[in-house]
Amino acid sequence: MDIDDILREVDPTFDSIPEDTRDLQALTRAWVAERSSPELLDWPIDGLFERINERIKQQIEKIEEMTGDMDPKTNFALIVIQTELERYKYLVRSYLRARIAKIDKHTLHYLSNPVIRARLSPPELAYATRHQALLHNHYLSSFLSSFPAPLQNLNDTAGNISMIDAPDLDTAVFIRLLGDTRVEGRGTDEDGAMDGKNGDIVILRWSDAKKLVDTGVAEIV
Amino acid sequence: MYGDLGNKLVQHAKRTQNLSHLPPYQTELVRAVTREVRDLDKDVADLLEPFQGSFNPANDQATACTLLVNHLSMRRNKRCLLAYHRTRADRLEELVWKGYDVVDLAGQQVRDGQGGFNGPPGMATGNGGTSSLSPQEEDYVRQYSDLLAAYKGQWTDIDLTGSLEPPRDLFIDVRVLKDAGEIQTEYGAITLTKNSQFYVRQGDVERLIAQGYLQKLS
Repeated sequence: MDIDDILREVDPTFDSIPEDTRDLQALTRAWVAERSSPELLDWPIDGLFERINERIKQQIEKIEEMTGDMDPKTNFALIVIQTELERYKYLVRSYLRARIAKIDKHTLHYLSNPVIRARLSPPELAYATRHQALLHNHYLSSFLSSFPAPLQNLNDTAGNISMIDAPDLDTAVFIRLLGDTRVEGRGTDEDGAMDGKNGDIVILRWSDAKKLVDTGVAEIV
Repeated sequence: MYGDLGNKLVQHAKRTQNLSHLPPYQTELVRAVTREVRDLDKDVADLLEPFQGSFNPANDQATACTLLVNHLSMRRNKRCLLAYHRTRADRLEELVWKGYDVVDLAGQQVRDGQGGFNGPPGMATGNGGTSSLSPQEEDYVRQYSDLLAAYKGQWTDIDLTGSLEPPRDLFIDVRVLKDAGEIQTEYGAITLTKNSQFYVRQGDVERLIAQGYLQKLS
């Protein structure tokens, strides 16, 4: 995926692209965004991953069918398809791992707030809940159980310090604008704003960039 | 008293982050810190006892200060303990993801007397004979492996624990470091004998590379 692909996506003729190509683009975009944003993004809800899984299965079956063929021509095609499949699988794997890493790091944060909780896919939710339970059990059996009862919680907010660690939403991200828009950013000394043009690449705090990305006028690169 | 031991634990945790292997579990320290918390809690209870629940900090500032320090130390100790255990748990999870048999490895590490996790020799556990994991940690690892296997099961075609390097070539050269017996590939069976070299499909041998049977040649 390069710039041309992205430009084509904002093109009015976008709909002429077949669905499978669009899914691949959606996957690539989700992957890029997930890897560069500091917090967990929404799980794609339109059945993207069901379709992707289906397609991977189809390709594997196809490869198995073709393996029996000894024709050199099919052999070449086979290698191309296999390489493509490996890359496709890598995208999915890397995407899922990036999400799991974020979930593992701030499990309680993602579990304790219903709005953020909705970003997880059902399997991820099950995984996170179970993982947290395991950790808590581990703490309990290692030392917490012999603590005085008022100190056994893992979500104290005493002394204005919450025990639940949250991702730093002020880290910088690079975004590419997909349309002309006004970009506003908070700075350490003073706030700044600029008129952005289509295709501009801007670096700014994730907390400022988030609303642009959510409304679709920008994407993370 | 008042958090000295907790500090030691944090230093251990910090050190663990930069080590290639997992140092032995500090059972004694953990126990001592926990004991300290219990003692402090008892002190607090003793201090409050004569007031019968009607303690007013403004009337007795010295006691109020003692109570505050005790409370803060308890919380701090708890944080230290949590940090220590979390660091180790993270490390263990990492190993589980990489597909090592952690419990086995920990035992082996002690027997070999050298860093089992590719660590430099001689840096291993000081108190030979015991595993560097606490029994609770072994339990945790076992349960986490199950959890991971369950999650992986939903993505059977992807092989979640596979390499996170972007694939470049379908086929790679590998050298066999340890006898691994015969493996089945789409192109027939290959017998992996030590020191031989093969040109194979990466997906077929990824597991074996991770386990140290094969070495990838670039």
